Amino acid sequence: MNALSKLVAVEAKLFLREPVSLFFVFALPLGLMLVFGLPQRGATQEATPGQHGEQTFLPSIALSLTIGMLALFTLPMALGIYRERKVLRRLATTPVSPALLLIAQVVVNLAMGVAGAVVTAVGVRFLLDQPAPANLPGFVLAFLLGVACLFAIGLLIAALAPSARSAQSIGPTLFFPLLFLAGAWLPRDQMPTVLARIGEYSPLGATVDTLSAAWAGQSPSVSQLLVLAGTAVLGCLLATRLFRWE
Amino acid sequence: MPVIEVEHLHKRYGDKVAVDDVSFSVEQGEIFGVLGRNGAGKTTTVECVQGLRRADGGTVRVLGLDPIRDRTEVRQRVGAQLQESQLPDKLRVREALDLYRSFYRNRADIDELLADLGLAEQRNTAFHKLSGGQKQRLSVALALVGRPEIAILDELTTGLDPKGRRDTWDLVERIRDRGVTVVLVTHFMAEAERLCDRLALIDAGRVVAIDTPAGLMSRVDAEHRVHFRPLDHLDDALLSALPEVSSVRRDGDEVTVTGPEEVLQAVLSALTERKIRYAGLRVEQPTLDDAFVSLTGHPATPPALDGRSS
Repeated sequence: MNALSKLVAVEAKLFLREPVSLFFVFALPLGLMLVFGLPQRGATQEATPGQHGEQTFLPSIALSLTIGMLALFTLPMALGIYRERKVLRRLATTPVSPALLLIAQVVVNLAMGVAGAVVTAVGVRFLLDQPAPANLPGFVLAFLLGVACLFAIGLLIAALAPSARSAQSIGPTLFFPLLFLAGAWLPRDQMPTVLARIGEYSPLGATVDTLSAAWAGQSPSVSQLLVLAGTAVLGCLLATRLFRWE
Repeated sequence: MPVIEVEHLHKRYGDKVAVDDVSFSVEQGEIFGVLGRNGAGKTTTVECVQGLRRADGGTVRVLGLDPIRDRTEVRQRVGAQLQESQLPDKLRVREALDLYRSFYRNRADIDELLADLGLAEQRNTAFHKLSGGQKQRLSVALALVGRPEIAILDELTTGLDPKGRRDTWDLVERIRDRGVTVVLVTHFMAEAERLCDRLALIDAGRVVAIDTPAGLMSRVDAEHRVHFRPLDHLDDALLSALPEVSSVRRDGDEVTVTGPEEVLQAVLSALTERKIRYAGLRVEQPTLDDAFVSLTGHPATPPALDGRSS
């Protein structure tokens, strides 16, 4: 246990020394919300009908963006570098299992995701003068399942990418289509039905929808939560089976 | 009492044989070299000793333990420095040592270790700001931070400049002086010659010879070479007629005479007798390189690859 807590502490320190990751977690979601949200500050009416008109869409997509970047960019990158630089192999020569380093990485990225969520929620409440998540248990559940699903995909990338450099390019290649399916650019209600349906059950789409629903005080859709959980389990199983240590 | 015993080790990757048949034992307190060309099977051999790989045949015992079955115990007592292993860029020297130290039962004093390895001033330096030699010393420090009984050092000086290389050699001797048994994997002859008490010469997955460096060199009757520049006229026939001389060669105004150990004495007497003056006298004794060539039939390192490792 001592070794794991030491590893977590060190990984957290290393994370905080990377300005780019800090930007992803804290600056980007807040900035997005301010740019797009300030014009409607304090509004209680839906400005326009459809997905993008929902008041909780903006904070939900900002939060999903943070989780997505942690899961698909920083996590697979870090693990790819650790494998490439033989850090994992080096750990294998000590009494501590290299799996602990993977766990430490997930813990730290998770903690940063939670920190990002708190910053976003507080920002929404006080900067945009919008309500905090109304259905808090539903929000926490949606957040946890969304995180689990996206992190599982990130771990799968780390397992499959032949090098840190390719992990770095697979992440974004996957991330932008996922963002599109979530309705970041084109609202899903304006997409062809098939695409909208796929988007609804895509990792980021389901995360955004369930977060958004819970934020607005509704119950998140059970089928979307189940898809998130299923993807998380499948991704983790594949990642542990396929992970290469060297 | 041997601390490492390897008997008929065999390891293959797919149908490629990495280690064919390797046996050796390492005594407590010695610096034992595993010497061979790149790809000879050295690293695979020590990886089996560390329990990082499972042998396909033969037995390996480390401190009386099985490195696969008793892996945790073996790893508590054996420190390893891996070829080309790095650390995260922004991890600082002291943090790295503090982290690795927490993995072990017996923990070295970090400040003492830093001072010993000449890293005291770099204690708060990030890994990516260290020089090649400092990175290498940190890597050694990590191998020692659990107070191991055995330290396995793989290609320790690859990529270092000559000064860094010599400093590292001093370091290895100091490690041994602390009572740690050292297994030194190298393809660098001068390193083996300078440091090792005994060494195993490995070629194409097999042990060619196990001996002290001097013992290995005496096994081959390699020639001594005498170089000089005659300042007066010298007829080559004068030298080639001497029984101790096996060849005479000229390169510009430098003459190179080869022969057994007695060749120097013979050449000098002949020159003195004829009152031929000379300058730039140099004598080359056979090296471990020569022994390697003679025992394996090819040079230890292809010249173009010297100082690098695959």
